[in-house]
Amino acid sequence: MPLVRLGDEGRWTNYHGTGTCEAATRFALRSGDAPRGRDEIAIAAGSIQDWLVEAAAAKRRVRPLGAGWSPSNINIASQCWLLHTRRFNRCFLIDAADVRPGVNADGLMLVEAGALVDEVSDKLEAQGRSLWTSGAGNGQTFAGACATGTHGSMIAHGGIQDHIRAVQIVTPAGTHWIEPATGVMTDAFVAATGSTVLRDDDLFAAVQLPVGSLGIITALVVDSVPKFLVRPIQNLRKVDRVALDWLAAGDFRRFSAAYALDQEPDFVQMIVNPYKPFKRPAMLRFLYREPWRDDYPRATPGQLGAGYDALSLLGRLLDDYPWARGALLQFAMKQGYASGPDVDAPPVYGSWGEGLDTHRPLADLFNASVTIERADLAHAFELICDVYARHGGSTVVTVRFMARAEGLLAPARFPHNAVIDFDGPRSARTADAYARVVERLDAEGIAFTRHWAKSCRLDAARVAADYGEDFRRWRAARDRLLPDPAHRALFGSEVLDGLGLTC
Amino acid sequence: MMWVGWALAALGFALLVGQYAAGQADIFVSIANPRPLDEESMVVTLKGWGFAAQAAQPFVTPESDHGLCDVRVFATRRQMLIAIATFGFLRPVTVAWRAHAGILPLGDA
Repeated sequence: MPLVRLGDEGRWTNYHGTGTCEAATRFALRSGDAPRGRDEIAIAAGSIQDWLVEAAAAKRRVRPLGAGWSPSNINIASQCWLLHTRRFNRCFLIDAADVRPGVNADGLMLVEAGALVDEVSDKLEAQGRSLWTSGAGNGQTFAGACATGTHGSMIAHGGIQDHIRAVQIVTPAGTHWIEPATGVMTDAFVAATGSTVLRDDDLFAAVQLPVGSLGIITALVVDSVPKFLVRPIQNLRKVDRVALDWLAAGDFRRFSAAYALDQEPDFVQMIVNPYKPFKRPAMLRFLYREPWRDDYPRATPGQLGAGYDALSLLGRLLDDYPWARGALLQFAMKQGYASGPDVDAPPVYGSWGEGLDTHRPLADLFNASVTIERADLAHAFELICDVYARHGGSTVVTVRFMARAEGLLAPARFPHNAVIDFDGPRSARTADAYARVVERLDAEGIAFTRHWAKSCRLDAARVAADYGEDFRRWRAARDRLLPDPAHRALFGSEVLDGLGLTC
Repeated sequence: MMWVGWALAALGFALLVGQYAAGQADIFVSIANPRPLDEESMVVTLKGWGFAAQAAQPFVTPESDHGLCDVRVFATRRQMLIAIATFGFLRPVTVAWRAHAGILPLGDA
């Protein structure tokens, strides 16, 4: 039995201490020692299905918990059964005989739902492979990061969920193996996982980003690319207003030439102080992709510029001394982020995974974001900083760029996206300032979406408006996967019900 | 000589404030490549200036068969006030830790 109960009913707090579940009963799913991955996930799926039936009989809703990383409370609920998956974290190589004709098995790996992004990355790199994008942190479970649409950060790629090729998901009615219509795994393999195969593009696009509403995901087939190196450049520079036009137009080469190396970057990040964003130096980070070689000089994550969120210590000061906010934020930017390597420093290199960081929990964290069409950046960015600063927002503002992500509910839904994050110390004033930013974007008619796992203040009407036809297709796919309303309700919560995802 | 008394009182007060603030500092020890499970915590009370220590509960932590990822030791404001009010006779501290989820070898699907 890979599923065990953990202690008595009680309070549970998420990773960053930003959300709690009251009267939660905790269960843990653990990896076993089955010789083959397909046997292992078949056993786990069977246990979970029994557990779901028990939960329904006990009239308790269920929530799958990955690393509990989401700063928002989208994945938690009180008076429910919580399923911890962190110890269900084995990864398995996929043999060419297990995939359908025409599918290349070289880059594929079967990943149990509790494996962290960091673990998946490590396992792939040991095989000479790599993820092609991910978020700034790597402490989320891979399944959890996908479920909430954690955005990627490589300019030419979409979200982390784009790596998924197949999903095993368990509902009270059965265990399903969902793939695109073209198919990935052989029928024999799917049968050995104890699953019923569903090859359907809309269903697949729905479960790539399910927001925890479609069942319990037990395993994923994850794709990869050959391992590559990245060279980071990180510096503090005053950014000219005109440079926003270059970024909005996708002329990253010009931006890079002005502030870092005269070559095409694969990643650009700009962290600005919203108080006078063009007068105070911004923290810029560039990554340049290079072919893999084994003899690169190893660097620590700090030397590679990993670490992105060390600002929470100044929260109280920022709140108490509004007149000093701009200067304090600038001080925090200098202290909180890894400095260098700059253009003139000896180059350092690392794999994609080595440049990510599993940070320690951050208390009193505020996280929010808006994703806009990149072309709107020049117009929207200054406006956002102005509104945010004027209403007392006490975090830095970060901009990253990515392509359209897969999944019907992917927030990065524009052809070219600028993701603007507000990450830092939590305060009521900062939350209010973010709300004012949202109001202003609406007033200006600038289309945007919000990150599911951050403070998003969405409701069903807004979700329907933001995602339009894709939301209707997502709900249609949900109703095919979970035709019984009681089963949909089992995976619901006050938050998810309010978003129109589970009712 | 009055000013000497006031100076000593101020010095004593400053020492107490310093101890109160420093006692709440978070001493954090972590392994390099963590795979953390949920944080657990317990309160350990040092009694008699460290001659006796008593845990509020025995150190039994679930899911620690793969060891620990990190440990934090800190005192809350209330715990520091207790320590100061009892002249250090009682010194409660909170010990928090996260167990390791384990790193399992790559298998075959």
